[in-house]
Amino acid sequence: MDRLQIHLCDDKTSFLPCETVKGTILWNLDTNPRFLELSLFWYTAGKGTRDVGVVDSRKFDEPGASGQKEFAFDLLDGPYSFSGKLISLIWAIELTCSPGGESVRREFVLSPTGHEVLLDAH
Amino acid sequence: MRACDNPFRVDRVSAIRYRPFDMTFERIFDRLAAMDYRAAIVGPEGAGKTTLLEDLQKALEDKGKRTRMVFVNDTSPLDHGTRRRLLAQLTRDCIVLLDGADAIGYATWVCLKRAILSRASGLVITTHRPGRLPPLIQCETTPELLAGIVRDLLPQADDDEALRQLYHHHQGNIRNCLRDLYDRCACDRLS
Repeated sequence: MDRLQIHLCDDKTSFLPCETVKGTILWNLDTNPRFLELSLFWYTAGKGTRDVGVVDSRKFDEPGASGQKEFAFDLLDGPYSFSGKLISLIWAIELTCSPGGESVRREFVLSPTGHEVLLDAH
Repeated sequence: MRACDNPFRVDRVSAIRYRPFDMTFERIFDRLAAMDYRAAIVGPEGAGKTTLLEDLQKALEDKGKRTRMVFVNDTSPLDHGTRRRLLAQLTRDCIVLLDGADAIGYATWVCLKRAILSRASGLVITTHRPGRLPPLIQCETTPELLAGIVRDLLPQADDDEALRQLYHHHQGNIRNCLRDLYDRCACDRLS
C-alpha cells in the first residue's frame, strides 16, 4: 500500500464549477506524523514562472501512523483547467505529511464541459 | 503539445541542479569554507551560477548556517531602501548570498560589501566577471553538459549534433538552449 493516498468519490477526474469534491485520504506511515495537511489548489506549468492559488486546506493534527478520513471541498467557479503551448492551469488536491514533506497529489479537471479547455487546438 | 506535457517546462528544468565539471560539490563547499565564506561564483549567462548559489544555500543551511538570499537584476534593483532593510536584518551568524552583483554599480558595491561583511559572517556573490570577490569557481558549459541535461529531461533525445549546433547558436547559454527546446516541443500539434 502507498504510504499516502487520495481517493476521489467514484474515481471522478472532472468536476463542474462550484461542484463539491468528495473523497477519502489514507495514510500508512512508519511513525506518527505531527500533522497531515490536505490542500485544494490550482497551479500553472509551462515556460514561465509557476503560479499557485491555494483555495482551501484541512489540517489533521496528530493523526496517528495510519488511518483514513473523508473530506469534501467546495470548488470555485474558476479558473477553468486549460492548456496552451505556453501555459497550462491544473487543479489538484495534495496530501502532505509533516515532518518530512512527503506528499501525494491527485489532479483533476475543473470545467463546465468536463474537459480541459485547449487554447490552441487548431 | 500542451504546456504541462512539455519536457522542458520550468518546474522540470528548475529541478536540474548544478553539475560541477572537474571538482565535487564537497570540494566546492570545502573551498568556500577555506575562503571564510567570502567568494564569487563567476561565469557567463546561463552557465549555472544561480543554480550553484541555490545549491550552496541548501548545503549551508543543512550544516546549520543561517543564510540570506538576495536576487538583484534589472527588474529588482538593490535600491537604497532595499539595501538599508537588508543591512538592518543581518546578524553575525548570517551568510549573505547575492545573485547578480554585476547589477550593482561599483561605488555602491564597495560600500555594500564593507557594510555586509561588518554585519554578517560571509558574502557569496554571482558575477559575470572576476574582480569583486576572490573566485570560488568559474562556471563553464560544454555541449556534453547540455546533452546530459537534455537526456535527463527527454531520454529519447539522441541527436547530439543538433544539440551541439543549438549550444553554439546560444553561445553556451544552457538556459537559453532549454528555452529554445521548450519552444520546439511546443510547436508540435497540440495533443
